[in-house]
Amino acid sequence: MKGFLKYVNVTEIVRPIGQLLAFSCGSAVVMSAIAIGIALMLDKTAVGVDLLDRYNVSVYTYTMINLPQVVIDGLTIGFVYAAIALGYTMVYGVLEFINFAHSEIFAVGAFVGVELLIALDSSGMLAGASLGMAYSYLILAILMGMLAAGGLAMTVERVAYRPLRGASRLVPLISAIGVSFFLQDVIRLVESLTTGQFNRIMPTFGNFDQRIVFGKFAMGTSNITLGISVKSIVVIVSAVLMLVALNYLVNATRIGKAIRAVAQDRNTASLMGINVNRIISTTFLVGGMLGGAAGVLYALKFTRIDPFVGFFPGLKAFTAAVLGGIGNLTGALLGGIVLGMLETFAGSYMGIFTMGAAGSEYKDIFAFSILILVLIFRPQGLMGKNVGQKA
Amino acid sequence: MSSFSFKDAFDKVNQGPLPYLIVFAHIVTGTLLVYFQPRSNLAFLVLMSSFLSLYFFNTSNRFKITAAVVMTLLIMPILGVRNIFYLEVIFQISVFAALALGLNIVVGFAGLLDLGYVAFYAVGAYLWAFFGSQQFFVLPYAPGTQPSDLPFLLAGDFFYLFMMLGVIVAAMTGILLGLPVLRVRGDYLAIVTLGFGEVIRVLANNLDKPLNFTNGPQGITPIQRPSMPDWVVDWFNTIFGPLVGHEVNTSHMYNLWFYILALMVIMVIVFVTKRLDDSAMGRAWTAVREDETAAIAQGIPLVKTKLSAFAVGASFAGIMGVLLAASRTFISPESFSFMQSIGVLSMVILGGSGSIPGVILGAATITILNLQVLQGFSLYLNELRQSDAIIPIINFAWSDLSTQLDPAKYQRLLFGLILILMMIFRPQGLIPAKRRERKLALEKTE
Amino acid sequence: MALLEIENLTKTFGGLRAIGGVSFSLEKGMIVSIIGPNGAGKTTFFNTLTGIYKPTEGSIKFNGKSLVGLRPDQIAARGISRTFQNIRLFQEMTVIENILTGMHVHMKQSGIDTLFRLPTFKKEEKEAEQKALRLMKYVGIKGDVGNDLAKNLPYGAQRRLEIARALAADPLLLLLDEPAAGMNPQETEEITRLFRRIREEMGITILLIEHDMRVVMNISENICVMDYGEKIAEGTPAEIRSNTSVIEAYLGRGAVAGQHEEKIA
Repeated sequence: MKGFLKYVNVTEIVRPIGQLLAFSCGSAVVMSAIAIGIALMLDKTAVGVDLLDRYNVSVYTYTMINLPQVVIDGLTIGFVYAAIALGYTMVYGVLEFINFAHSEIFAVGAFVGVELLIALDSSGMLAGASLGMAYSYLILAILMGMLAAGGLAMTVERVAYRPLRGASRLVPLISAIGVSFFLQDVIRLVESLTTGQFNRIMPTFGNFDQRIVFGKFAMGTSNITLGISVKSIVVIVSAVLMLVALNYLVNATRIGKAIRAVAQDRNTASLMGINVNRIISTTFLVGGMLGGAAGVLYALKFTRIDPFVGFFPGLKAFTAAVLGGIGNLTGALLGGIVLGMLETFAGSYMGIFTMGAAGSEYKDIFAFSILILVLIFRPQGLMGKNVGQKA
Repeated sequence: MSSFSFKDAFDKVNQGPLPYLIVFAHIVTGTLLVYFQPRSNLAFLVLMSSFLSLYFFNTSNRFKITAAVVMTLLIMPILGVRNIFYLEVIFQISVFAALALGLNIVVGFAGLLDLGYVAFYAVGAYLWAFFGSQQFFVLPYAPGTQPSDLPFLLAGDFFYLFMMLGVIVAAMTGILLGLPVLRVRGDYLAIVTLGFGEVIRVLANNLDKPLNFTNGPQGITPIQRPSMPDWVVDWFNTIFGPLVGHEVNTSHMYNLWFYILALMVIMVIVFVTKRLDDSAMGRAWTAVREDETAAIAQGIPLVKTKLSAFAVGASFAGIMGVLLAASRTFISPESFSFMQSIGVLSMVILGGSGSIPGVILGAATITILNLQVLQGFSLYLNELRQSDAIIPIINFAWSDLSTQLDPAKYQRLLFGLILILMMIFRPQGLIPAKRRERKLALEKTE
Repeated sequence: MALLEIENLTKTFGGLRAIGGVSFSLEKGMIVSIIGPNGAGKTTFFNTLTGIYKPTEGSIKFNGKSLVGLRPDQIAARGISRTFQNIRLFQEMTVIENILTGMHVHMKQSGIDTLFRLPTFKKEEKEAEQKALRLMKYVGIKGDVGNDLAKNLPYGAQRRLEIARALAADPLLLLLDEPAAGMNPQETEEITRLFRRIREEMGITILLIEHDMRVVMNISENICVMDYGEKIAEGTPAEIRSNTSVIEAYLGRGAVAGQHEEKIA
């Protein structure tokens, strides 16, 4: 054991776990405090009276009843965003290029995983599977999703981006938008031809839909239930594992060092004997794999997927990457978690706080507002350094 | 012996009186083909491609203008009312050409990648949709619950005023949206404008409460058409009736009317674009596109210059939005999706960003691909499905082909492929932009 | 009153002090050179002067008015034009259009003028075009290349075009960043003569960064030497030649490097 530990850089495993924990708890506490604060302020106003009239519950009580679930949902989606955001941020760090097609890489991962599970389900293997087998199948699906997405990301880079390296910035970006649109319809085409439909549902199996209840306690006339669904745990745990693995790869291995070198200065790196093309390919592979895994996890959590499923998560993950400071891995984690929390809180409480005038339907544009605000007031993001523009 | 090249051959043909003959023959052939084969897509393509001959062959400007006027104002309308589908196609081409010309100012001239361009189109459309329908009186009602006997707010006459208002409101929206975001770097700007496009669409979807401004996802209908003098229909029938072969009714006349309006808008847009391009403002746009740092060192204010491009581009979309709302008499948020923005972008990129003829060609090509080629392909597949035909070798019965496979719905594939292939193989577009040749001579008297 | 008065100018990037407390003044009608080894902060000095960077500390007064806090375009409008170390022309625009762009700050045409081609517009454009043509000849761009794209010009002509574009704004002060870089001895001599003419015929004050000592010693009335972001000496060419700290800090190794560069060029 001790001999093994010699080769493992333990701090690089502990550090990101610590960061994730801090980010999660921090954003949960801050967001909850804000929500509770607003609730207390609104209790005596027309908003509170209206709620009391209709449901016989005060704003404060309503907020508290929902709070545990909101925090857990926020965290779950936050981790999914973080995993996708890492793909954007890695590519941006190395090429200074927004890989617009990353959202479709994510969708392909989701489809491959879900199709595999559907196939297993229709052959009857999922129905009677023991808990251990159910988890093995899910892991298999995630791995297949990762492989497919990673391979696709590499191919896309080779075909549609590499020939454009050195052209002005907008050229590869437009190509990436083209790839994004192209892939959406390719998924649709393949699905229509093979299965006849392109809305796919994640099969129900294992114990993923169960809820683990920690306890209930009374709150006025209502009860607060503290619980979490198994799939949320699965999503969070897998995401944490991946994020730690990625962090290790980038910060404690030779490949990671090469990636960082290329990100810093491509020309110098190539003079140092680093094969820049291969490192860029690797970056796309790794980013794509994370995206693919995130896709399968997303499908597990939200059950239904379609060829356009990547669009909003992709855009939000990009927002998360910018929010955290694009090019910065830790920043992407922070951005993902903060954005997931903000969005879930807004989606859950905005309707009540505004008396139904603006509810969860504005959840999706909420992320954009944040993106715009960040870009205007702190374009380097929460964790990015302020770098002078080159003249 | 010099080797044969297409360009040499073209240059050889393209001199003296021969080009006039070729262009004339092309137009006449196209016209006759469409006249006698009104259902043939191929005939229509021959006719449309005569615009290309007109553009590429070396004829005098007077000939070009006369031919273009005859084509667009005489031949197209007559053939169009004979087969109303063609009129729809050329109307859509005109609408998209106008949009693409507007986006061209933003993307092609100023180099700002705007992925939410249809937001301004939506602003124009909803502007007339709100004031030119019963929506004002529907404000207090949730969608679907309003009484059926509500009056219209404004009469059709106001439409023409609202075309002007559409320009102003869309330009103001452009400035309002642009002010905060035009400071951000180019690739971020693309994502931010995409975000704005989505914001406008989500707003259109959800502003049916607390007050019902947009009627939500169901959209607003009916929307007033502009007033059209009564004598127009009679007049058209008297003059062109024999050629058309049947009496034209008011509804068809409206189609024609909107087509003419769209053409007029395009002419204004081309005029404005050309004038602006060849002025201090246009040079500032291009300078900013080429090199921001060098541009600002020449005293060109970045934000103001970008804002002006944004506003001018937006105003073109605004006026077309008003026109769209009136011509469709119905609008819903669905018409203003991200895909529409990318569609318009594909037109600009395909034709040649910064090039006016290029962008019009791009708009025509993609609209025809969309409306005729993809849909024709869909119909063909449907026919195959109905038949007993079987693909040989793999023994696949066409009737088993999934009904989900409808090529007409695969626009994303089309747009995506166009964008990728153009970026890799011909980033300057089909008809690349050219700088104006100046007649330069130093005058001695000083 | 001096045309340009800089006091205690400081610019830091994060922890890096690119310019550290430089004070400097420039009289109207002079030609002054800034020299110093690579990375001495010369270009950063230009960038801070023209507003691309905001100074961390210090004051810049031009014609008696402070430039600190102004945007680069506002500073350009006050009468400071510049060229860049690596030529930054508007590649896809024609030669004439590049020069016309330089006149942007003086253009009075309004939107209405532009749209309807009113006489005022036509007159202004015509005059601008004539002026651009004269400038093109003045800086020595040969041939009928006014309609050529800037990117298609040979290297030397591109350098000259950048100078013409800067002159188009009728500046009071012209900043030239290594204008002779990459030129052969004959071209260098021509361009040096051009700078003299610009000063004498147009009355424009010139501040230039240059590595080529023949240019510097030949035309400068004053030389400012920078090293590690600080001004280490200032004086006439003769004074600088004999200044021991300059010889130690710069000429000792710089002279060798300078000859080396010539060979490459």
